[in-house]
Amino acid sequence: MAEVIVVNMFLWVRVFLVGGIFIMFPRITRKGLFFGVYMGEEFGRGEAARAVLRAWDRGCGMVMASALVVGLIGTAAGNAVAGNLTGTAVLLLGCTGLYFRTYGKVKALRPPDVEQQAGKATATLQVGRPGGETFAKITLVGCLVVALATVIHAVLSYPSMGDRMPTLWSLIGGTDGTTEISYLTILYVPSWNLVLAPLFAVLALMISTAKRSLREGPGSRSAEAQDAFRKTNANIFSGAALLICALLTTFSVQVVEIGRGEASSLGPEMLWPMGAIILGGLLSLVVIIRRVGQGGALMERGSSEGALTGGLADNAHWVGGVIYFNRDDPSLMVENRFGIGYTMNWGNVTSVLFTLFVWGLILTLIILGFFL
Amino acid sequence: MLTITIDRGQEEPVYAQVARQVRLLIASGALASGTTLPSVRRLAGDLGVNLNTIARAYRLLEEEGFLVIRGRSGAKVSAPAREVEHSTQEKLLEELRTTLARLRQAGVTSDEIAEMVWLELLGSDDGDKEN
Repeated sequence: MAEVIVVNMFLWVRVFLVGGIFIMFPRITRKGLFFGVYMGEEFGRGEAARAVLRAWDRGCGMVMASALVVGLIGTAAGNAVAGNLTGTAVLLLGCTGLYFRTYGKVKALRPPDVEQQAGKATATLQVGRPGGETFAKITLVGCLVVALATVIHAVLSYPSMGDRMPTLWSLIGGTDGTTEISYLTILYVPSWNLVLAPLFAVLALMISTAKRSLREGPGSRSAEAQDAFRKTNANIFSGAALLICALLTTFSVQVVEIGRGEASSLGPEMLWPMGAIILGGLLSLVVIIRRVGQGGALMERGSSEGALTGGLADNAHWVGGVIYFNRDDPSLMVENRFGIGYTMNWGNVTSVLFTLFVWGLILTLIILGFFL
Repeated sequence: MLTITIDRGQEEPVYAQVARQVRLLIASGALASGTTLPSVRRLAGDLGVNLNTIARAYRLLEEEGFLVIRGRSGAKVSAPAREVEHSTQEKLLEELRTTLARLRQAGVTSDEIAEMVWLELLGSDDGDKEN
């Protein structure tokens, strides 16, 4: 019974968190953008925009209710976990489908004169180290050094380990299964550390120099807002890299201790970085939604600056309002038109190769996990 | 904050738009000599244009004597030359004559041209003092 309550509680938290974030998305976006389409600075104030927003809120509410009902049906049928998973799928697919439906509707309402902004772009001549870049560089070096240290620690401990290593874990950190010891088994967790923590630091570094989409005019307010948004995101990713490094390093060291027979299960030390990742993630969401806004939207609100320029105002280079594809633009990353954070410029070969490389590494590690 | 805006819808090529705006900022004194400009990659990224476009604008400004480009330290606004070379003076005088001819053709009187020149000179002097 307790397990059923916990499973359902997770679904309810997920539904209200994800659904709530989807309801917030169009409200934290930059003035001029509406559901992934550049509509001009005045559209958001009109009755047509309000009608679309009301329909969006109703749609999100219905998707959330459907996800909860599916979860309850699963529980009533005696399989709460299946209900939880199906409910989560209903939530994610429903919200995504609703977005694309709304995107199509909004695109049809686009005023014809907004396309003239597509060719315009504003940049500052201000020179200075981008905010968050130094922290990201230090984090990258730190994560690489620590991750390499965990690899060396595991290799040096290999001769003093027993014949078998724990490779399956229960929720409370106990050993659920063991595998014959090999370099693959002892290097598996340190390898994840060597990939994931530096990856987040590299993303932080890329975000710190991501493209800025400024408004026409003197640009001081939108440039400051963009810099603040970029720095906040870069620092969030650097922080995530450090916490992931702390979590996987602790995990790796504890696995070695179990392998040497010095411990029988994972200790509570891992709970600290785990908790910090969850809390940090939630806090980051609150900071962006309440204080900064997507692309610094809340910080530039009320300014008398002109229309949006650059990649964000260019409808022709966005697919579905979420995929940016511009071969002429040397930027690796651009801010999302709908949602939070940044996305890749898929027209840039370096961006595509970087993504393929990262997914290649992650998939290799996942596949290696089946051989443990 | 100093900004430049390009418009691909205009007939003027993008590199020329960038060069013109930087030139005007230097002439007005807003960009003082010794000021470092953003790297080619950073400016091209923010404007969403090819790297070669910005590199061409910077090269043009270097040829005109507005910028000094030195490898890793990037592009800097150059200090006005202490002595003007004879060939440069001749070339600039020809450009001035062309501009004067265009102004007269456009119907601007000599007095109005003189006033415009004085205002521009006073404006750039004020900019120099501020810097």
